Amino acid sequence: MSDAVVELEGVWKVFGERAQEAMAAIRAEGLGKPEVLERFQAVVGVKDASFSVSKGEIFCLMGLSGSGKSTLVRHINRLIEPSAGTIRILGEDIGAMKSEQLRATRADKIGMVFQNMALLPHRSVRDNIGFALELRGMDGYHRAQAADRALETVSLHGYGDRLPSELSGGMQQRVGLARALAADPEILLMDEPFSALDPLIRRNLQDEFLNLSQTVKKTTVFITHDLDEAIRMGDRIGIMKDGEIVQIGTAEDIVTAPADDYVADFVAGISRLKLVSAAKIMVPPEKFSALNGPLSDAAHPEAAPTDDLDTLVELSTGTDLPVLIKDAGTLVGVVNKDTLLHGLQGSSEG
Amino acid sequence: MNGAETRDNIDERDISVPAFAERSTDYYTRVFENVQRGQSRPWDLNLWALLIPWFWAAQRGVWLVFWVALAIDVLGLVCLMQLVKFGPLLDAALQDPDNNTVLIERYSRWISNFGWTGAVVLLGGRLWLGSRANHWYYAQYNRWRISDAVNSGVLLKRLVMGILIMAIVAPITLYRATELRLDQRACFNQIRAGETVERLLPEYGAASVGELIDAFQSLVADAEARLAALDALGELTAEQKSERNAIRKIIRDNSRRMDTAISYDTISFKDRFDCAVIDDFPTLARFTPPPEVRYRRVPDEEAIAAGNLGATKVIVQESAPVEGRRVNTFTYTAEGIDTSINYLRARFAGFFDATTNVLRQSLIRVEVAFMQTPWPVVAFLFIVLSWAYTNPATTIFVASSLAFLAVFELWQIAMQTMALVVVATAICVFVGLPVGIWMAKNKYFRWFTEPVLDVMQTIPSLSYLVPAVAFFGISQPPAVLATVIFAIPPMVKLTALGILQVPESTKEAALAFGASDRQLLRKVELPMAIPSIMAGLNQTIMLALSMATISAFIGAAGLGALVTESLGDAQAGKGLLAGVAIALVAMMIDRILRGIRASFSRI
Repeated sequence: MSDAVVELEGVWKVFGERAQEAMAAIRAEGLGKPEVLERFQAVVGVKDASFSVSKGEIFCLMGLSGSGKSTLVRHINRLIEPSAGTIRILGEDIGAMKSEQLRATRADKIGMVFQNMALLPHRSVRDNIGFALELRGMDGYHRAQAADRALETVSLHGYGDRLPSELSGGMQQRVGLARALAADPEILLMDEPFSALDPLIRRNLQDEFLNLSQTVKKTTVFITHDLDEAIRMGDRIGIMKDGEIVQIGTAEDIVTAPADDYVADFVAGISRLKLVSAAKIMVPPEKFSALNGPLSDAAHPEAAPTDDLDTLVELSTGTDLPVLIKDAGTLVGVVNKDTLLHGLQGSSEG
Repeated sequence: MNGAETRDNIDERDISVPAFAERSTDYYTRVFENVQRGQSRPWDLNLWALLIPWFWAAQRGVWLVFWVALAIDVLGLVCLMQLVKFGPLLDAALQDPDNNTVLIERYSRWISNFGWTGAVVLLGGRLWLGSRANHWYYAQYNRWRISDAVNSGVLLKRLVMGILIMAIVAPITLYRATELRLDQRACFNQIRAGETVERLLPEYGAASVGELIDAFQSLVADAEARLAALDALGELTAEQKSERNAIRKIIRDNSRRMDTAISYDTISFKDRFDCAVIDDFPTLARFTPPPEVRYRRVPDEEAIAAGNLGATKVIVQESAPVEGRRVNTFTYTAEGIDTSINYLRARFAGFFDATTNVLRQSLIRVEVAFMQTPWPVVAFLFIVLSWAYTNPATTIFVASSLAFLAVFELWQIAMQTMALVVVATAICVFVGLPVGIWMAKNKYFRWFTEPVLDVMQTIPSLSYLVPAVAFFGISQPPAVLATVIFAIPPMVKLTALGILQVPESTKEAALAFGASDRQLLRKVELPMAIPSIMAGLNQTIMLALSMATISAFIGAAGLGALVTESLGDAQAGKGLLAGVAIALVAMMIDRILRGIRASFSRI
């Protein structure tokens, strides 16, 4: 991918005093996690992770706690050094950077939002937001202006002079987001930003963030342990288990074609209404005719292959006739009520 | 399938009690059930625990019962042993009842008191133990159900260990109980006699102590014969008189040596044993002390003659050791330290003098600032500070404290104390802050510094004064140094603590936004550590105040000197007033600093 902003290639992280030895042994002998723990007292945090995020995309890393997603995201701005593999930010190998260059990249190119906000309690909201700019040596006047602009984007105008402790959890996380946006970085790393908030506020912030990213178009790596959130937020989703990325794909890919039982277990409870498109469930016209006899000439409801199941349900409710799926005028498939119900349930037919 | 882990043999009570008790399983199944149902009665005794508790407890690993049994038995038997100790004395006294009425009465009373106490402790203790043993054993059973590491079953290994403990503890303690108090002199004389004989043996070419005694005997007999011959002459010339004196001296010396040898020869095994183990730890070794060396810095005449005025050099003065002096390890080491301090003092006189000078000059300047500022100004500043940072009640307290100092005419003296505290605190901050930061940043330095700080805090404050005097002499500067050493640990510790307390996630966020290590320290860690650092400063000031009082012993001026003076003259009133003044100064500073701290942590 030429427009990849964040690229990870074969990234490994082994924790422990004998991590290097363990890494070499993994390379040479292909050891599994338990053997590494037993022989080297080392824990494999991330196992051979590769993915790339293109410009403006929101990439969700989803996994349960302990699956290594937070560890993996900290490799992107090199808060954690990988045991093996390369990470490129805007085409540059971040592992090869000198410390001065690394700090400049962190301050200018990457903004990060943390689950526990991690705001500085002794600084005002404005000074918190301007922190990255201050570290780069920007003067107070321009810093305050940038901070106020960032406050405006997260709809916290006028809160600049408060202390973080005076704000509610949701507002604090907005400040965290504003801090990440203040330096106008290319990349946003969001480490479970909304997990600590209550459901209503979480939903609110998710919507706001989606609106925001429509306008600011930041390349985002978004960590979550909540599949619903991943589906709402992510253009693509990577599912992690025990340090390994087991599947990468769009929400639809993952829901309709889970890579293994683990992923299937996860997606079992997810509503497919908005995720699955007609193309995934439609029956080719010839096969339909063979099974059910030829289509009648009555006025069938029509839909496009990209329409989701929700639309098909809407179309099928007023009539007994199957829905015709047409791509640019040509009939490509048919969906009757049986097919539709099976599609909603998730079991593929025949 | 993924439910709770199952553990073999302990799910069912029927199975688990036998697994725990291993022997007498029926008995313990029944007993434990009774205990659990609350139906255990005080007279349900565990007979084994009653009769041979140590063996029962040791082999079953119920060490609580073991130690309690040991304590009861030793206490009871020690009481009973007093009968053995005083019995013979009573018998001896009864030989002559008329002259020993007091002793007879006293010994009989002791014997009956100790006898009864011993019997009651032994019998009552054992009965109590017998009724508690099952309960304790049941408690252990419950702990065993939680963790496999708890002792269970019957083990020969533990029985052997129990017997070993008893063998070490019991006999020697009981033996001690039968013996009268040892004469400390006797043990010292044993050592002296041993050393003397060791020296004399080669001198007289004797192979054994017996031969040595024989040698002295013949020498004395010889000399006595010569003396008798002289005495037989009657009238003596001056020469013969002096010869007679010489012979008498020979007799005297050799008799004394013979006595020593004889007393050494008659030391019994019991005497040696008593001195070695019964009371004090025995003196293991005595050394001949090194020659006494003094280092002294004197004008270097040669260099002065060569034109280098003011040149000095270190000279060594050695004095011969006292003949035959032997010292123990403590004295030997202490004298060695003395010599090295003496050497360092002479060798680095320039450094010590310069330090003293710097301290004195800064102290003088601060003293001037405090003492020559007109009292209304100082008082006004104090009141304004407390008004600004604390509540009105505290301000009233500060004002009355100042009034106390003023009315009792302790103003200038209190200001001297303050000057000392201010200088010491300033040094504490300048040294303590960087050290604290370094300590927080470097694990190895922390490992090294922590015990050092603990030692600094726990060594009695008076013993700082001695080395301070040894290096810096008597006056204000060493008092400042001793105060700094005493007061600096909280500053260092709380700085380090404050920095270490900064949450990992906050530091991570700062790094993620591109902070360098310096920026992390300056913009995140130090500001967040300020409440802790202020607490450290507060403690440091309080400690400095208390040490400023003690250091009056080595010439620190101020309120402390007043206390020391009144101690010397036994003037309680003076001492009390000065003490109250110190307390008031401390509380004023403390309250004001607290107010300032609170205003810091609000931001």
